[in-house]
Amino acid sequence: MYVKTLRVVFAKPLYTTLFLVISFFVLSVAIMLPHVGLIRTLWQYESVSVVEILLLTANLYGSLGTNFTILSASYTVVIALLFGIQVTLLAYYLKSIRNKATNLTSVGASGVGGLISGFFGIGCAACGTFLLSSILVLFGAGGLLAWLPFGGEEFGLIGVGLLVYANYLIIKKINAPLVCVS
Amino acid sequence: MEENHNKNQPNQYLIPLAIVIAGAFVAGALYFSNSGATANAPVAITDTNQPVAAAPEPTGSTDAVRPVTSEDHIKGNPNAPIKIVEYSDFECPFCKRFHDTMNEVMDKYGDSGEVAWVFRQFPLEQLHPVKAQAVAVASECAAEQGGNDAFWKFTDGYFDVTLTNNRTDIETVIPQLVKEAGLDQVTFQTCFESGKYDDHIEADIANAVETGGRGTPWSVMIGPDGKTYPVNGAQPLAAIEQLISIAKNEQ
Repeated sequence: MYVKTLRVVFAKPLYTTLFLVISFFVLSVAIMLPHVGLIRTLWQYESVSVVEILLLTANLYGSLGTNFTILSASYTVVIALLFGIQVTLLAYYLKSIRNKATNLTSVGASGVGGLISGFFGIGCAACGTFLLSSILVLFGAGGLLAWLPFGGEEFGLIGVGLLVYANYLIIKKINAPLVCVS
Repeated sequence: MEENHNKNQPNQYLIPLAIVIAGAFVAGALYFSNSGATANAPVAITDTNQPVAAAPEPTGSTDAVRPVTSEDHIKGNPNAPIKIVEYSDFECPFCKRFHDTMNEVMDKYGDSGEVAWVFRQFPLEQLHPVKAQAVAVASECAAEQGGNDAFWKFTDGYFDVTLTNNRTDIETVIPQLVKEAGLDQVTFQTCFESGKYDDHIEADIANAVETGGRGTPWSVMIGPDGKTYPVNGAQPLAAIEQLISIAKNEQ
């Protein structure tokens, strides 16, 4: 049922494009998070051309291989793909039900929870620079990371799990027509 | 009997709400990861020693980078027009990776005198307790006894062998590197146990934080005209080369 549903949705070019755009956006945010300061700095130097900034930005995508562990790079890509799938499935589902209101609480909660959890674990895994450590340090709890077996990367894995669950729920919704219940 | 969709009418707002929450989170992520590095005014590059502040307020501006002096650990031409000041942690795996990248950069731009690599200490005690600080002290003691060459011999040697993330047996590795650098063990040990470099390392850490560093490796590239560029994490060689090219064109 699930594979068939995915085939139906992704057979349409519009949804495939949406999936690619959303996935690329999420992946780009994850990779570029540590480099926004640099890119912003370059924009402020008037003598730096747009082409130079774009070339540098393109080269910075290579930091997926240098700024991440194999584990964090893997789940960062997976989270981006899963979130792309989720948004695409939601768009398909919402279009199919049109104006009929329905209960999407569990789908929405799982999807957003997955993205949030995933983002805690991603955003450059270089020592101490990923988002979770920034937030923990903000609250004076940076040492907590040393106690986590994977140093905070657990949140990325939890994110993957939640997004898989959210996708499962939305596919179930797509395959369950609206009916009257007593 | 009632219709399901009527029963759940309020939930029609869930998707827009979810999108807003996700958007807010992405914005928050951007804020938290980049509240540091801001616009940079050119910084003065001097050859004089500057007193270091004990605990400056974190401004997050790369123009707060402490001027490069002869007291720094420099690989390459000390008067190079482009200086890459790296704040590093000996037990950070990404610093190990970036150390290799920087050695490649120096292989390419060091001989011509275009780029100098300045190494400063940024041991992250919370992530790599005891060991990162101990190795930082050891590297300073190596420099004290054997000068710049001994520092880089020790540093390159340590990054070659470290298992990172506090897994290195420093009791074995440090004496071995001291021996390989041709240093006197007794003199080294006296320095190592003296605590004389604790303040210096603290000053490096403070300067790293002041310039916007919140993890390692953290680097600030200083261009020929004094403009500064934040380099966060272990960026790939191609990105560093592109940044060097940009900095060169700025003069």
